[in-house]
Amino acid sequence: MDRFTIILWIVTALLFIFSLFKDRKKTVKALKMATGLGKSMLVSILSIIFLIGLILAVIPPATIAGYVASKNEFLATIVSAFFGTITLIPAFIAFPLVGTLVDAGVAVVPSVAFLTTLTMVGIVTIPLERKEFGSRFTLVRNCLSFLFAILIALLMGVFL
Amino acid sequence: MKILKLIKVNFFAFLVLLAYLVLMIFNRNLGIDSLKNSQYYLKEMIAIMPPIFILTALLDLWVPKETILKYLGTGSKVKGVFLSFLLGGISAGPIYAAFPVCVMLHKKGASIRNIVIILSSWAVIKVPMLLNEVKFLGVHFMVIRWILTVIAIIVFSWITSLIVKDKDIPEADIELPLLAINSKACIGCRLCTKNYPQVFKMENGKATIIKDYKTLDEDLISQTVKACPANAISYNPETND
Repeated sequence: MDRFTIILWIVTALLFIFSLFKDRKKTVKALKMATGLGKSMLVSILSIIFLIGLILAVIPPATIAGYVASKNEFLATIVSAFFGTITLIPAFIAFPLVGTLVDAGVAVVPSVAFLTTLTMVGIVTIPLERKEFGSRFTLVRNCLSFLFAILIALLMGVFL
Repeated sequence: MKILKLIKVNFFAFLVLLAYLVLMIFNRNLGIDSLKNSQYYLKEMIAIMPPIFILTALLDLWVPKETILKYLGTGSKVKGVFLSFLLGGISAGPIYAAFPVCVMLHKKGASIRNIVIILSSWAVIKVPMLLNEVKFLGVHFMVIRWILTVIAIIVFSWITSLIVKDKDIPEADIELPLLAINSKACIGCRLCTKNYPQVFKMENGKATIIKDYKTLDEDLISQTVKACPANAISYNPETND
């Protein structure tokens, strides 16, 4: 567990104990609510997790890097943005990966496009997002995030 | 029948399961690799989600609606934007961990714009991530990307709030069921579907609740509850005291 997760646990535990002292009934209700929330999301989250595992096995990030490196910059940007969209990679894998991309001579623009869509846009999380926020919100947020990810990447190309 | 219904409700999960089955039959090694890959995410989920759910429930019960409305509502302006970035930036876990938190905040009056900011910054500008970024891509790279991303989020969260309205987002069922029908008691008289067709419908001779009804008219619903001859409808308006 990283430091932030540990802090999250500590903060939650402290608030929970505080809540328990202040109002026992309310805290029990909160626990019930938390379990209900967990149950309602469990199947969706498990599906997301196993789908990510599958995608990473079928299209390993290294293959993506190799493919992108051999293309021209425009095509590479679009392709890497799309690859970033379908997968969801933890930051501690994504940054070294993008680092190696840049070191290997892949231009900044596709690398950044990959990095941003990787975390902000997620095809795999769309079913869950739709369930929680509705179709319209999900569609608009993901499309805008994708467009702006490419915009960020293009601007990075100008500044670096 | 039951199996079909189960598949319909968990269609996405069913597809993933099917993909694994196909993979296990035709390319066993790849299937095993997939499971191994999933392990990391599974651990991440177990580490993150329990405290997130408890925190969400605690905040829901302790923080009054007015407070959320004041700090994250449509009227909160710059303060709300700043707070949303802070909330997303210091958080732990993948983007889906932000979903229950944001649903709860929206239910309590946070604006769509601020919800988008929290979700996006939760995903992309986390503090531990920034340190990692410096390590592999350099300070220069990180600072420029950070600034650009923050500006982008400010702009597209605003655009989102122009296109998506509060009514587009389904009511959170974070509270225990607000409205429920005891189908064993229901005698199928159709009174409720006549009284309030936006909320009730008939299915296989029994009344059911239309899942995505938008709002509940207080008068109409209590009238409908009273009208039911079998007392099969239960309605629990907000019990937050």
